[in-house]
Amino acid sequence: MKLTRLASAFALSAAVCASVFAADTVKIGVQAPITGKYANEGQGIDNFVRLIVDEKNKEGGLLGKKIEVVTCDDEAKAQKAAVCAKKLSNAGVFAVIGSYTSGATEAAQTTYYRNKILQTSDGTSDSLIKRKYWTFFRNSFPNSAQGEFTADYFVNQKKYERIVVLSDYSSYSDGLADSVEDSIKKLGGNVAFRGKIKSGTQNFTAILTKVKALNPDVIYYSGYYTDGGLLRVQQQQLGINADFVGGDSNDNPDFLKLAGKTAAGVYLVNVPTPDILPYEAAKKYLTAYEDRFNMKPPSIWAVVNADGLRAVMEGVEKTNSFDTKKISDYIRNDMKDFPGITGPFNIREDGERVGASLMVYQIQEDGSYKVSFNK
Amino acid sequence: MDIFLQQLINGLTIGSLYALVALGYTMVYGVMKLINFAHGDLVAFSAYVGLTIFTQFFGASAVSFVDVIIIFLFTSIIVAFVGVLLERLAYRPLRTAPRLSAVVSALGAALVIQNGIMLIWGPNMQIFPADLLPSTIWNISGVIITFTQVCILALSAVLMIALYFFINKTKIGTAIRATAIDQDAAKLMGINVNRIIMIIFVVGSMLGAIGGLFIGLYYRSLTFDMGWVYGLSAFIAAIIGGIGSIPGAMIGGLLLGLFNALIAGYISTEWAETLTFVLLIIILIVRPTGILGEKTAEKV
Repeated sequence: MKLTRLASAFALSAAVCASVFAADTVKIGVQAPITGKYANEGQGIDNFVRLIVDEKNKEGGLLGKKIEVVTCDDEAKAQKAAVCAKKLSNAGVFAVIGSYTSGATEAAQTTYYRNKILQTSDGTSDSLIKRKYWTFFRNSFPNSAQGEFTADYFVNQKKYERIVVLSDYSSYSDGLADSVEDSIKKLGGNVAFRGKIKSGTQNFTAILTKVKALNPDVIYYSGYYTDGGLLRVQQQQLGINADFVGGDSNDNPDFLKLAGKTAAGVYLVNVPTPDILPYEAAKKYLTAYEDRFNMKPPSIWAVVNADGLRAVMEGVEKTNSFDTKKISDYIRNDMKDFPGITGPFNIREDGERVGASLMVYQIQEDGSYKVSFNK
Repeated sequence: MDIFLQQLINGLTIGSLYALVALGYTMVYGVMKLINFAHGDLVAFSAYVGLTIFTQFFGASAVSFVDVIIIFLFTSIIVAFVGVLLERLAYRPLRTAPRLSAVVSALGAALVIQNGIMLIWGPNMQIFPADLLPSTIWNISGVIITFTQVCILALSAVLMIALYFFINKTKIGTAIRATAIDQDAAKLMGINVNRIIMIIFVVGSMLGAIGGLFIGLYYRSLTFDMGWVYGLSAFIAAIIGGIGSIPGAMIGGLLLGLFNALIAGYISTEWAETLTFVLLIIILIVRPTGILGEKTAEKV
């Protein structure tokens, strides 16, 4: 009799324990464009986050708690991003990975800040860290770093004399183009024309014909691959004999598909592509990604976001708490050279990722990349 | 000079595409006094259908001229069928209802088609293969014109002339014009109004389908929401030309394309769209019924 009572007490306590354990989860949010124009980038981010979270859960979770991923599709639109921010905050996440575009990231920033939720994004727009929110840190490198690098390449390496700088109207693209233009001027270079195209309108012949009359050495485009690929095709059709250099958001397999044969010879400026990342962690995670999803990550952006997530998890474990303020302080002040997939991961006081390493690739006839300049 | 001619060709190419799509709006409005907002999405749908036929049945590799005609033919037949279905399901039941109900129905149909495209083909950008038409480029003393552009310009000119004769010189064309003037009187004269409306949707959708295929062939990137961009421009072209007038839609489309190219080329690329529409608003202030629109006395 006594024995059965003891046994049932055990069973009961075990059951209680199990249920407590099951309820004992923490939530991490993903805010990314799962549908829409940049869907393949958003899905890449979501995939990579789930890969890393599942791995962590297999190891026993974060401080003994299972991690649950909550994804919200912002379609790369500011209005949807604001809705996502509310949704994820209500879902009780303690950190959010994303979004892909600077515009959608910026639209959600304040909500996360008010709710004390950590946010990390690959958005490169300089404006992202202007508000100095302690909740936000960037996992890619800012436009200004890329602008200086690109300008140096144009003026000192390639010695281009007539440079055309094009962007779309997004805060990211416009900011990057401004940064390139300013840096070129600082180095004494000549920007022959600075123009803007409306993303998604498909027909860019009018502006390109105008550019043709200037007889440029190079056309630089700071926008996204969906428009960059078409610009390249139409440039070639109009017979403009200029180099084409794309900013980091042109680095996507769909750029090659859109540009087709005309992709050969195009230069892209970006941080090192996933498959040539020289770091220890890179090999491990990129193989794991390919094994699970049967494809490579769509671009470097999914990978830098994965690094953002890994930095957050590192912060949780080192501070032994889910207090977002403590984690943020750790990431900003105490984390030094965290071994990221995309290289040493260091965050400055204002949330900026520092220590950029950038490269210029040239697309070859067979669609592969060849490094033509790095620094 | 060659830059000016180049801008002219750029403008005419995009203008002909607008005109082809605008014809669908203007024909439906002419007969039914209804703005068929779903027309733009039907155009996007046709680009996707063409892409599917090309990749599924022709293996997405370079094909002969006959195959291209087959793709165009099958796509237009499928899209015409969907156009007729649209009329039967979304517009015919509301034909006697207040006009606003039909407009709401049209907007709803547009969303149904757009989201249908997203569900069938997925939200990602689809890319039309490059080698469906020869990539020949002619360089006439500095002015570049591609084979695809010549096709677009030639075929849309032929189609518009054919349509003009169809409407003005044939028996069915006369019946269409009669229905446009007064549906009840047309009925009394023994015209089957339902059939005429069906014909309007078949012809309008086919022209839109050809426009959509050309958009796919020329620009090569397809997104499920692209119909809105082209639909809106074509709708504006139809209004500028005088909605309900067939030559008006052609002229409106060409003007819209030309204005945009010339303003972008000579004034400002950033202000091109704004200035284009300011110019078009001025046209409408001077001629409220559009360039070729007829002044009709309101029936009391």
